[in-house]
Amino acid sequence: MTFRMDPRAKLYLLLLANLMLLFHVGTGAEAAATALCLLLFFLSGKARAGVRLSVLYFGLLAVDLFVVPRVGESVLLNLLSLVSVGVRMMLPCIITGAYAFSTTTVGELTAALRRMHLPESIIIPCAVVVRFFPTVGEDYRHIRAAMALRGIAAGRGALLRHPVQSLEYILMPLLMNSNNVAQDLSAAALTKGIGLPGRHTCMTELRLTAWDFLYPALCTLPLLWKVVTLL
Amino acid sequence: MIEAENASFTYQSAPSPALQDVTLTVQPGECVVLCGRSGCGKTTFTHLLNGLSPEFYPGTLTGRCTAAGLAAGEAAIEAYVPQVGSVFQNPKTQYFNVDTTAELAFPCENAGMEPQAIRRRVDEVVEQFRLGPLMDRSVFKLSGGEKQRVAFAAACMLGPRLLVLDEPTSNLDAAAIAQLHDMIAVMKRQGVTVVLAEHRLAWITDLADRYFFFAAGRLAAQWSAAEFAALPADTLAGYGLRARTLDDCRAGIRAKQSARCPGTPVLTLEGVTLGCDKKHPLRTLPDMSFAAGEIVGLMGRNGIGKSTMARTLCGLLEPVSGKICRNGRPANASERLRSSFLVMQDVNYQLFSDSVREEVLLGAAHPERCDAVLQALGLDGLADRHPMSLSGGQKQRVVVAAAMLSDKPLILLDEPTSGLDLGSMQQVGQLLQEWKAQGKTLLVITHDEELAANWCDRVIRWDDTEGV
Repeated sequence: MTFRMDPRAKLYLLLLANLMLLFHVGTGAEAAATALCLLLFFLSGKARAGVRLSVLYFGLLAVDLFVVPRVGESVLLNLLSLVSVGVRMMLPCIITGAYAFSTTTVGELTAALRRMHLPESIIIPCAVVVRFFPTVGEDYRHIRAAMALRGIAAGRGALLRHPVQSLEYILMPLLMNSNNVAQDLSAAALTKGIGLPGRHTCMTELRLTAWDFLYPALCTLPLLWKVVTLL
Repeated sequence: MIEAENASFTYQSAPSPALQDVTLTVQPGECVVLCGRSGCGKTTFTHLLNGLSPEFYPGTLTGRCTAAGLAAGEAAIEAYVPQVGSVFQNPKTQYFNVDTTAELAFPCENAGMEPQAIRRRVDEVVEQFRLGPLMDRSVFKLSGGEKQRVAFAAACMLGPRLLVLDEPTSNLDAAAIAQLHDMIAVMKRQGVTVVLAEHRLAWITDLADRYFFFAAGRLAAQWSAAEFAALPADTLAGYGLRARTLDDCRAGIRAKQSARCPGTPVLTLEGVTLGCDKKHPLRTLPDMSFAAGEIVGLMGRNGIGKSTMARTLCGLLEPVSGKICRNGRPANASERLRSSFLVMQDVNYQLFSDSVREEVLLGAAHPERCDAVLQALGLDGLADRHPMSLSGGQKQRVVVAAAMLSDKPLILLDEPTSGLDLGSMQQVGQLLQEWKAQGKTLLVITHDEELAANWCDRVIRWDDTEGV
């Protein structure tokens, strides 16, 4: 049995990661909170993504702690610290976002947002976005294949050599296609009653468990510690 | 159940009406088929029945059209929801949920049913249509046929009195069509009225009670099942309608399955195993060869690996093992990519430019032939139009024009006739013949038995008993 977190708790973690970035909590506190968030991947049966993100985060942390202090030369130092500090500080947001995204179904998300009494005008676009991302990935592969057949931006590195041209060739069909898909999806959803007035329910009953409070609270401790010591 | 009285509909910003003076009545429990050429107004009529027009697809409606007691233009889309269930053409774009069970629950959730009642209703429908093995799956992992079956079940969740199906089979193989047929039979037995807009007519003849034939937006004829069965075959073809029975086609396909490669092979496959990565081989192919100037049909159920084969042959993918040779020499992926062109099922992915002329010149080997090719394909008046503003059939011809100008020796077409009427299907067939006359090798992936039987030189058919 894998661990399932309530979507509301996941949203809170996402908010927390952003707050940590905003308040510059310091390396130790950031690492502790991030490690807790990374642990969630392993608890939810997403070990592969968990390993990948852990290696990335702790690799950058190691560079910051052990390599950067020993580099004297300024250009290399700037570059290294840009990556090891700048990118690393944004990683917690990406990690919590990836966790929320990869473990929440559209139904759970809409149900959770409805429990939070958000208006439908916010909930439906959110649901559409979550539904949309996987299709964009699929579309992208088709488009790259079509480009290769025409000999446009084919081969390795072509995207880097002609970035503007390539982007145009990718975006054009992607946007046009998204437009068609969005219209068809909306029509299908309307005939299935997405616009019905009155209370909408959810088949999977969401219940906040003790864990949904405890785990986020645990993750908040490092930030709290920082705030307390500041005062 | 349905009553249309002088119903006319003109889409916003369209110069002429899509539907003109349609008057018809459908009794409760009937199964009726709307047929006619592409663009004849049958899809527009379905939109009047499920409430999508004029609210979602805006336009002007005159006359009256009521379905299940709801008048188009007066009742809101929401009023139609529990009464009318809809299934659309494209299995890819009618899922709002990524999970199949959630998709079935979706209409009930919107209607505010209690969680326990929703689960009961889902179980009931799953039992009724025997969808057990398809539950709790990601829709991205389903074949087109499986998606359409779940979409049909989702349309039945709220117990509709009327089902409106708009070309539900255009992407499906014969087996999947048969399964959809049985689902419709179940609903018909329960007294549900079924309206089906469709090009392929052979699979529905035993269920259909009446046929409405549309031409240029008008209801041009209506037949009872008996009258329709008695129509002479050439009258039917004259109306641009597809065959009522596929027995002849199937016999023709069987005969073509035993044909061999007719000449010197230009493309040979030796011990090829298809697959996206080494750990998951999809299918091991028998050795085969293809000659210049032949049209080979490739058939088999959804998800059996036909598209993977096309991607492998044109160099978008390396085979897991085995050798692909061009003119006797092994050809790697980039060499195959240079010498082949794939016309995708969804040509929207293949249109990059602002105008038709620019589009077909992109990557062209013979730009000087541009005007001649555009004219041959009936695109000469459209050279300055934006490709995305064209109809589906025209878009496909733009990509075909680009393929012709690229002058590559191997052309692969993935389902080139899905959702096409008889005339357009024959146009594609003639195009294949012209290409063949130029000495190209053509490989056509298709479920369309009429195309395979009448326009392909030989047919390779895969089933689950051979290969991996």
